[in-house]
This record gives sequence, structure tokens and C-alpha cells, in this order.
Amino acid sequence: MKLIIDETRCKGCNLCTTVCPYSIFTEGKKLNERGIVVPVLDRPQRCTNCRLRNLYNRQLCGVCQLICPDQAISWVEETEGLTEKVVIEY
Amino acid sequence: MSSKIKDWLRQDRLPHIYCTGCGNGTVINCTLSAVTQMGWEIDDTVFVSGIGCSSRASGYISTDSLHTTHGRALAFATGVKMAKPELNVVVFTGDGDLSAIGGNHFIHACRRNIDMTVICINNMIYGMTGGQGSPCTPEGKYSTTTPYGAHEPAFDLAELAAAAGANYSARWTAYHVKQLSDAIKTGLEKPGLSFIESITQCPTSYGRRNKLRTASDMLEYMRTNALLLSKKRRMEEIGEEIPAERFTVGEFVNRNKPAMGVPK
Repeated sequence: MKLIIDETRCKGCNLCTTVCPYSIFTEGKKLNERGIVVPVLDRPQRCTNCRLRNLYNRQLCGVCQLICPDQAISWVEETEGLTEKVVIEY
Repeated sequence: MSSKIKDWLRQDRLPHIYCTGCGNGTVINCTLSAVTQMGWEIDDTVFVSGIGCSSRASGYISTDSLHTTHGRALAFATGVKMAKPELNVVVFTGDGDLSAIGGNHFIHACRRNIDMTVICINNMIYGMTGGQGSPCTPEGKYSTTTPYGAHEPAFDLAELAAAAGANYSARWTAYHVKQLSDAIKTGLEKPGLSFIESITQCPTSYGRRNKLRTASDMLEYMRTNALLLSKKRRMEEIGEEIPAERFTVGEFVNRNKPAMGVPK
């Protein structure tokens, strides 16, 4: 699982930075093209939901998703990288 | 969003019109989380709402919805439920809509104990029309119509619903998201009128006049001032004084009185 913030929906209220128990969300610094400072993710791999949701088969925390007033936070399944044959040149 | 909640939202209408940091979106999330846990069908559910910021919520949900006249959401919802008792009726309403203009409809819907769930988004002000004081504006707080601080005591809607005869009455805040969705789920399961009040932040109209300019400040205010009902009763027993600023949260009443409009 991977945590993502939908930049087309986020209005930059920073409620996620206030409530996240792991402090994964931090306040952004740069304006995006819509003139909104979207929070940035600081090492999202610490999120229990990202790491352990599939293992326990249920939502483990998800407070950021519930509190986000703009429905901008979600989790997506990570696709595994395609295996590529490495050609060794002599 | 989990895939199920996503199905219930009208993706073509998002992002919604609410201001930055408005708690209405949070209450929509909690409601849809509870509704999806119930396993209801989109075609069997109706969302009814009145007028105001909170009442825009039904327009963002992909079920059939009624956006009705000011204060009359409960009257319309009663009509829907009595005509087709098999439908699941959920009402979104604001504090001004429910307690001021629709006050009488609210009391009598509770008295009749009609099978529906009423979710009141209480942002303590009339947010959409410029920040006028509502019956839920706490004493001493500022709004455009109370520039020297509100002099009148605020309505306690959850207590009112319990006294008027609702089967379930609870109050939580937009900070207590898990408890709020659990309370809404209990309300949806319960036959008879279930009333869930959610205190939400309105940083634009309420917060900036009351030194709570950002949504995070308002969330912090709700976190520090929410007092659990059981703790309040304990404090009253030992005669401890409860600060005027604090408001109670929790389950006020949960009973099984005979209800109207329950499908047989």
C-alpha cells in the first residue's frame, strides 16, 4: 500500500499534519500550480496502514483519511516493478 | 478513500465548494464510512438536507437526495419515510437549519420517533450567509450579529433530542472521527429517530472572529474542551466545578421506544 495526496483536491488546510500520530505529513513550502501549499510526505513508509494493512486485512489507523475534508488522502496498491533482463556486454 | 466510500461520492462534483479546513467534509467521510459498513445499497438510500453549508453535503453523494427548503429537511424526510418505509433515510442539517428555523420540526420528529438518522453539523454559526449568530453560538463568542459577544445561553441539541423522545442521541466533534463514525453507525442500525450532533470547525466565519483563525486551532480547541459525559457526571457527583468553556461529548441516550415508519 502507498499513501498519496491528491493535489487536485487538497486545499492545504493541514489537518492531516495535526492528527497523524506518526507525523508523516509535514507542512509544504512551495505553492503548486493552483496556488495551494500541499503538505508533503515525510517517510510515508512509517505509516502502519501502508505497511501492515494487507497483513491484518483491515484499516489500521486511517485517521488522516477520515479527517481530510477534501477527500484527498487515499491508499493505492503498489505495483511491483517489472523484471528486466540485464544484458551483459563484454 | 477505500474503494467503497469512493463509490458513494460523486467524483465529478469534487473538489467541493467548502472553505479550506471546513469540517463538513470530515463529517461526510465519517457518515459514508458508517453507511458502507452497514452494507446498504445506493438505490435504497436517500439523503435529505435543508439549507446551508452543511446541507450541500447531500449533493456530493451519489444516492437520491433532496435539497429542501430552510429548516424543513425533517418534514420532507418524514414524508419520504412514511411513503416508502423500506428506504433508508439520512438527514444532513446544520445548527441554524435544525434548531432555529426548523426547531419545531425537530422536536416533533423526535416526539414521533420516526425511523431516520439525523446528522447535525454544528459549526456554532450561520456560515454560508456571513457568520450570523445561531442558537448554538456559545455565550461570549463573537459573530456578525453578536459583536459584543453572545449574551444568550446556547442550545444543547443532544439533550433536547433525548428529552423530546429520540431513541438515540449522541454528540462528538470533527476531531473525534472514529467515535463519530461509530456513533453514526449505531444510529443507522437503530430503529426510530437517531440524532448525532457533530461539533465542527468553521475557521472562515467563526474561527477568525474568535481567535481561532486556522482549522488546526479550532481542532485543538475542540480537543481540549470536549468533556466526556461520564466524566462530567462524575465531576458533578463530587461537586467539582465545570468550566463554562467546556462542552460534553458522548452518548446521551440509547433506548428502544416504539418507533414510527419502521418497515414490517
